[in-house]
Amino acid sequence: MTINRTGSDVMDVRAQIVMAFNLDKCIGCHACSIACKNIWTDRQGAEYMWWNNVETKPGIGYPKRWEDQEEYQGGWVADGTNLRLKGLGKGPTLLNMFYQPNMPKLDDYYEPFDFDYANLYKAPPGSDQPVADAFSQISGEKMPVIQGGPNWDDDLSGSQLYAAGDVNLEEKRLIEDYGRIFMHYLPRICNHCAHPACVASCPSRALYKRGEDGIVLVDQNVCRGWRFCTSACPYKKVYFNWASGKAEKCIFCYPRVETGVCSSCAHSCVGRIRYNGVLLYDADKVGDALLRRDDQLVEGHRGVILDPRDPQVREGARKNGVSDQWLAAAEKSPVYALVKEFGVALPLHPEFRTMPMSFYIPALSPVIGSAGELFEVVEHGEIPPLESLRAPIGFLASLLAGGNREVITQVLTKLIALRIHMRAKSLGRPAPTGALQAAGLDEAGAERLYRLFAVGGYGERHVVPPRQREELEAERRKGERGFGILRKTRRGK
Amino acid sequence: MLNNLIFIVLPYAALALVLIVTPYRWYTNRLTWSAYSTQFLERKTLYWGINPWHYGIILILLAHLAGIIAPGVMKRLLGHMDALIFLESVGLGLGFLALFGSIILLLRRVNSPMLKRVTFAGDWVLLFLLIAQTATGIYISLFMRWGSQWYLHTVVPYFYSLLTFKPQLEYMADFPLIFKLHAAGAFLIVALLPFTKLVHMLYQPITFLKDPPILYRWLSRARERVG
Repeated sequence: MTINRTGSDVMDVRAQIVMAFNLDKCIGCHACSIACKNIWTDRQGAEYMWWNNVETKPGIGYPKRWEDQEEYQGGWVADGTNLRLKGLGKGPTLLNMFYQPNMPKLDDYYEPFDFDYANLYKAPPGSDQPVADAFSQISGEKMPVIQGGPNWDDDLSGSQLYAAGDVNLEEKRLIEDYGRIFMHYLPRICNHCAHPACVASCPSRALYKRGEDGIVLVDQNVCRGWRFCTSACPYKKVYFNWASGKAEKCIFCYPRVETGVCSSCAHSCVGRIRYNGVLLYDADKVGDALLRRDDQLVEGHRGVILDPRDPQVREGARKNGVSDQWLAAAEKSPVYALVKEFGVALPLHPEFRTMPMSFYIPALSPVIGSAGELFEVVEHGEIPPLESLRAPIGFLASLLAGGNREVITQVLTKLIALRIHMRAKSLGRPAPTGALQAAGLDEAGAERLYRLFAVGGYGERHVVPPRQREELEAERRKGERGFGILRKTRRGK
Repeated sequence: MLNNLIFIVLPYAALALVLIVTPYRWYTNRLTWSAYSTQFLERKTLYWGINPWHYGIILILLAHLAGIIAPGVMKRLLGHMDALIFLESVGLGLGFLALFGSIILLLRRVNSPMLKRVTFAGDWVLLFLLIAQTATGIYISLFMRWGSQWYLHTVVPYFYSLLTFKPQLEYMADFPLIFKLHAAGAFLIVALLPFTKLVHMLYQPITFLKDPPILYRWLSRARERVG
């Protein structure tokens, strides 16, 4: 890949609608997954797809072991001065069009099933109570044993079989030790990456990133079903529709966000963990930032994200057609605050080098209850020190920081300092001096973070500027029939 | 009568269908333009079917085309006995490879319950037709020796006569029936092409090779900007 430079003094500033997740607040209820499923993937060929899914960490996730790029060969690798796809380059792409070595198979997800409810009242008289047998939604045949589901390893179920296989877990025995066991949820959508591997891998050039809002889409009219995107995406968020023979993925609910409404998963979120907002980034710097060492990638990523109040940035943005309304939204963006101002939200697996544009605030896990072979109770205060949290720093660093423990420590220190500060404040006690400052926060910052984390309403958590009228091409789209695919896309042709 | 059907009616019908239906489908129904891969549902046997089939048949098709596009070059090349024997042997090998692959693909459709819902009449017709076509091709290669040589002096001039709308049946009329079946099969496949998933072979990823990796589309600029 070549790093593009415009050659002019004006920065190539692009705007993107971005999601952030506060993992501390996720209760793993899957309301987001169901909202998404009901709107977008409740149809033949897409039964197994969960554009939004919630995983338990530690766990192997969906599809199984998706994080293991030695198996799936997704994402990019930095090759000295260049980035190249980890999987197949252009030549090998042409030679592997018929059969793809790295493509996930149905079993890596699960075989979608439904139940034969009709049997409950249609069964002939007999000595047994009729049951609703499970049947495959693909072959239609009965499934005596359901082998898996989209959240088969939920809540550490089958820890030995699943959680132990988490690639981020250095110490496998952690999940056997009840005094130290930990878990948190990881909701995932398509990250709408700034440097998407799926887009680069598509020989038909069906995948593209929208210039105005950064949403990555598959043009169904251009897709020829070669499936390279499903292999190249390291997050396994591009899916192959077995009925239509084409690729599909999360569309960031663009029909919603274009009208200024937040995405459906965020809207339905019970824990209110999600934030929708605008980020401005420097497209010229993306390539360089991704050439850094694994543990430097978070810093590089933060460096690419620009301050919407900087006049130079605003000039570059305007040159790229970013409207005043979008710039105003970027200034108020909760995601900018979390990712850049406070630096508490981190990209998921930055070492895959797609520059994912979804960000996660790591969860503060429970405190270790026992230590050593005597199972003595570990002493701690009301607010524990970092080291006594159950989720190992190394685990979180592997998940959210490319292995950089320092980045995780900084974030957790901020979260704990905020907790100490707010606890004292709400109890009417004097706040311990220096805790906020030591974590790099101040009183106003703590107040803003507290509002975002705890009490902020819809309008604070989601600042979604609608698409501008000038961009809508109303005269052209007037004749179209709205969104959605109305034409039959089945096989048989 | 049979000759007229196979060598005049069929080729022109096939040509007309390809020239009319293909663009019609492209402009009205691009949503069904896919190879309809089933690798997602079954991949173990697919590997042993799809690779031999494609690598065999693509090279054989190119050899057939080479004779039509550059008959002079091919005549000179095949004038050497060694080259002729070498090419015929390689061709026969590729033919067996393609036959092996296509039979595997057929058995796979028969045996895998996962593929039931994604298998339609069109898939069966194509599989049987392509297997029959490969089999007759192998028969001709085996029992009507030096086909690559006489092809240039019979089939190629006949093709040119077709293209100039003065079909000269005398080039083809005296061939044995099996050869005529091979020709009929070829025209039938071409005729079916725009109606089936075979259209996938009309798409070649050329722009992909020279494009920068990340593709942007700007709605507001109403043009594609790559950057």
